[in-house]
Amino acid sequence: MSALQTFMLVVEHDKEEAKRIAEGVAQGQSDHRPTFPRTHYVRVTLIEDSNADVESKKTTLIEIVQQLGEYINDEDPILRGKAVSFLTSVIKALPPKFLSRQQIQVLTSFFCDRIEDGGAVAGLDTLQKLDRFTKGLAAEIAQSLFSHFQDLQSRSQSQRFQVYQLLNELMSSHRAALLDMDEVSLVGIVDLMTGEKDPRNLMMVFSILKVVMMEWDITNHVELLFDSVYNYFPITFRPPPNDPYGITAQDLKGRLQDCISSTRHFAPHSIPALLDKLDSTSPNVKKDALNTLIACIHSYDPDTVSRYSITIWEVLKFEILNAQEEFLSESSLQALQSIAQRLSEGVTEVSQDLPLAQYLRPITKECNEQLQEPQQKQAKPAQQILRSLSSASPIAFTLIVQTVVAPIFTIYQEADGIAKQRALLETLSVLFESAIQVFGQWTTRGDEITLENPLLEFKDQFSDVLGQALMGAAKEEVSFRVTALKGFLRLSTLRDFFQDNEIGLFVQYLDEILLQEESVGRGDLKKEAIAALAEISKHKPRLIMDITFPAFVATLPDEDDGTNSTYLSTLDTLAQISVERDIFETLFRRLFSKLTILLQKEQPGAIAYPRAILMTLLYVMQQRKMDSDPSVDLYFDKIVVGLCRSASESASGKGKNQILNDATILDTLGRLCNLLVRSVTVQKQEQVAENVYKLFSATDDFVPIPFSQDATVDQERTIIISTYLLAGLSKDCGNHIPYTSPNMSELLSDLVQRCVSETSEPATHLAFLRHLALLVNKFLSKEDLNIAEKLFGSLVSSEKESYSPATIRTIFWLSKALVLRLAPTTTHVLTSLMGLLSSPDQQTSTSTARGFSILLGDDDVLSTANGASIRLLCKQRVFTTVIPMISSRIREVNVAGSDVSSKGLDHIKPAHLTALAGILSTISTALVMPELPTLLPLLLQSLDLQTSDSVAVRAATLDTLAVIIRDNGVAVIDKCGHVHSLVVRLLKTTEINANVVNPPRLRADSLKCLYLLAAKQTPGETNSRLPPSISPLLPEKTQVLRSLHAVLDDPKRDVRKAAVDARSAWLRGVDDAPEEED
Amino acid sequence: MAEMQNSNPTILNAADLPTRSRSTEKKPGDYGLGIFAAVPKPTDFLSSDSEGDEDLLEEPIDEQEIYDLIKSISDPEHPLSLGELAVVSLPDIFIKPTLPNVPDSPLQTVTVLITPTITHCSLATVIGLGVRVRLEQSLPPRFRVDVRIKEGTHSTGDEVNKQLGDKERVAAALENGALMQVIAKMMETCQ
Repeated sequence: MSALQTFMLVVEHDKEEAKRIAEGVAQGQSDHRPTFPRTHYVRVTLIEDSNADVESKKTTLIEIVQQLGEYINDEDPILRGKAVSFLTSVIKALPPKFLSRQQIQVLTSFFCDRIEDGGAVAGLDTLQKLDRFTKGLAAEIAQSLFSHFQDLQSRSQSQRFQVYQLLNELMSSHRAALLDMDEVSLVGIVDLMTGEKDPRNLMMVFSILKVVMMEWDITNHVELLFDSVYNYFPITFRPPPNDPYGITAQDLKGRLQDCISSTRHFAPHSIPALLDKLDSTSPNVKKDALNTLIACIHSYDPDTVSRYSITIWEVLKFEILNAQEEFLSESSLQALQSIAQRLSEGVTEVSQDLPLAQYLRPITKECNEQLQEPQQKQAKPAQQILRSLSSASPIAFTLIVQTVVAPIFTIYQEADGIAKQRALLETLSVLFESAIQVFGQWTTRGDEITLENPLLEFKDQFSDVLGQALMGAAKEEVSFRVTALKGFLRLSTLRDFFQDNEIGLFVQYLDEILLQEESVGRGDLKKEAIAALAEISKHKPRLIMDITFPAFVATLPDEDDGTNSTYLSTLDTLAQISVERDIFETLFRRLFSKLTILLQKEQPGAIAYPRAILMTLLYVMQQRKMDSDPSVDLYFDKIVVGLCRSASESASGKGKNQILNDATILDTLGRLCNLLVRSVTVQKQEQVAENVYKLFSATDDFVPIPFSQDATVDQERTIIISTYLLAGLSKDCGNHIPYTSPNMSELLSDLVQRCVSETSEPATHLAFLRHLALLVNKFLSKEDLNIAEKLFGSLVSSEKESYSPATIRTIFWLSKALVLRLAPTTTHVLTSLMGLLSSPDQQTSTSTARGFSILLGDDDVLSTANGASIRLLCKQRVFTTVIPMISSRIREVNVAGSDVSSKGLDHIKPAHLTALAGILSTISTALVMPELPTLLPLLLQSLDLQTSDSVAVRAATLDTLAVIIRDNGVAVIDKCGHVHSLVVRLLKTTEINANVVNPPRLRADSLKCLYLLAAKQTPGETNSRLPPSISPLLPEKTQVLRSLHAVLDDPKRDVRKAAVDARSAWLRGVDDAPEEED
Repeated sequence: MAEMQNSNPTILNAADLPTRSRSTEKKPGDYGLGIFAAVPKPTDFLSSDSEGDEDLLEEPIDEQEIYDLIKSISDPEHPLSLGELAVVSLPDIFIKPTLPNVPDSPLQTVTVLITPTITHCSLATVIGLGVRVRLEQSLPPRFRVDVRIKEGTHSTGDEVNKQLGDKERVAAALENGALMQVIAKMMETCQ
């Protein structure tokens, strides 16, 4: 059997095998061998059988063609196709240089004659890739395609695809040949592809046609070509589900759009047609039309764009003024802006004869008309039109300003009300914004614009009108004045516009508003004024320092005598405008001298004033990058060294007054020191480390706290500062801390002694606890951890039955320090805490329960910013260790039931629930979700608590539930089967009755949960596999609506508001079948 | 949608609408403002949050609250709220005891007067119905709701009032699916 016959036998059912046979024949033809590994025994034998070794000259191409003879004239097209395919396959497998020019020619002619037979197109495709293929042959192929495939569209998709592919190849490799055919190829190509419907083919059709549109002389066939693509507009294709080809509607839209916008010759057809499509009722069609229109505007030449510019405006006007959908109005505005940009190209001088001017004329006329009544609805779109067009280019901006600003001033002068004037100021502001876009801000560098800013002509008028509006209007007209203020600010930031003295005037206005006026309403004007000063401070710090600073500082009192606390708002403003470096230095100097004077006074007045000064400094330093501030050493010397020393003197009774003995002052000062210590060099830090307890005191009168036996309350309080200093130190300074050599054992023991004592003030006590935790967490080396563990063991001894609250706190802070660094004993620590929680002593158990929120709670001192060792997995560790214990313990208690209460263990369950709430409030819900089935019953039991001391627990529980529902929807609750139980409990929590203590906050929170349940029924990822099912909330609907009806009469307004929201969410959102999304 | 009847109504700025001024009186020593709120205060930990007497203070439903309930309803014609279009306004809302002769009666009547944007607005009934539905869903049962067109602001005001005041007709209207859809759409913006 010959290779041909074998091929024809197998080709139908085994394409691979057929291909191998042909390759075999071909390899015989060539020297080139073997590119294909011989893996198939049958194949090898077949090849050898075939004796078609062309290469060894056993068989020649001629012979192969001759062999085909008996089949290629067969009546059966299938048989013919197979025969031609054989030849194609053989050629395909030949090396590219094997065939001579003549052979190619013969083969091409042969295939062209037989082009309708299967395999011929592929054969031609192979041939045209060969080096020796000629231009003439390409034309022959094209001609043959055009004349033989009149009925192409009745053939199968894959056949059509092959034809297009061949054409596409010719287009890319032999375009000149096709171009030479001129009209013949143009019409031929269009005819060939007319009527194509398959998206895969269309992708190719569009790209071939685009080349024709751009490179052929199409003048005689514009309409034909345009219609050939525009017939597909708009594209309504929707890919089938699980689309294997990955062609989206957007892909097709993009290619089609490229075709329509490809040549300006289409404009007479495309633009009217696209504008017609805007009459469509479908927003999607309109969107496609607008996008294509924008593409055309970008691609056609300016002259063409100009010809249609006014027509386009007239149609788009309605889309903007009567906006149906916001995105349509936005696209329309974009189209108008693009026209203005195109028409500005190359224009350097403003003239009324410009095409741009002609285009803008009807537009500004329309806007001017709409702005006659600036409060009416259509004034807004008119503003948007001005915004888009005036920001298109400096020329467009100038033309618009020339026609729009003067009329606005006229209406403004004649306006009968402030509301109208405000609307006009807003319009001006829009122009100011465009000016900034076009001409730049005061910070913008480079590209000088040669055109003069047309607003300059009106500069004085603007200044007058805005100044008058800002300062002359009645004080209650807040929104009017805010508008004026914003306008003024924009002009001040506009590049090369106001002189410094003009901005200075504005700064004076702002100062006046802040210093002399009473706040009206929500204080919006003052907020805006501060923001404006802050903005100006970034670029014109001199103005702020020269004008604002003296005015503000002059109002600061020497002391707070209790009559007047306006200094608070003054300091507030100063803080917000002093972030810039130069200004901050001035602020620091002024405030520090105020503080120094205060510290010297015998009667310094209220403590609130120095505290506010310190807070102001702290706020600004937090906003700035202190570690890169060149003056940081100065601040360090003044505050850390200077004020700490003063504090130590004060503590020993040497101060002139009690300011530095106040706990809140020390706390704020401590935070300041902490910030500065973190920002200074290692050498300075070491210095701080040595002075952690001595506080830089110069004399021996001051006794450092550790190991001191009879420290006064004042002296003890300095531990607050010591703690903040310690927190700011880097870990490497550990060995410079006093009392730590040879190890910390003594120091820690001393601190624990102080922590468990019940006598110290709350603030001092907290500082001791934090101090202990800091040392253990951050400075205690791994080798010395056993010291801390021993301390823990001594605190939690099994013999003790009851613990004082101070001891419990100490235990928790020590645990916190160990758990955060995931010390090896973490599990033991947590188990011990659980033991305390189950203590039969009620007080011990209750204090322990509350302590759990300390364990993982964020702390300002023991924080990542302060370099504490906080391991990433510590929260997870605590959660996974503690939750199962709590859960099983509560189950035990539930099972034991009345037994427990007889033993006086009623407190156990609430205590565990409190502990749970404490932990949940300090970890993220992502950790919680996997444990939800275990947790949910516990949370529900928390809601069952009814007493007043359970309020905090219930509030925390509701917070957790709200987050869970908001992030995951009702589905997760439904999965655990607790929807009903949850809803019942939430409703109970909204009630007001004598037996349950439900403060307003709790009622509002549970209403919020109810609202979220109904509002978040379909979370982000839908289980789309399931058919839209009945809402799990439906069975509860009647009950919820009825109960909430009563809650609508709650005495508190916030609760009523929450009830209204929840009720309307249930009314609207809970239905038997969820609404079909469009 | 049919041609708009009033395509260019006057709009009030949202910032100018009447709002409830939250009690702005500051307690002495309260740093609730500006930067001083950003700085953490030295707090005593483990302190139970004290519930002040404020919780006992009753806040009765007033006109502003009614206004807040209905101002955010969208107009069926414009993507604007009834408040911005001044269709509802604070001075046109009244709360009175339903039975003035029975001093102990908790029953109250809320009257809302509606001002259509133009005098021949055919959507006035729909707007009135929307306001009515919103209030009935949001007020406790002891409130009677009375929604009417403000006198002299509509050419067929009496007709519309008759329709809005007639329980049977309102109930019938609420059975109408298409109408309810319009009203549901209007209330989507209520939050």
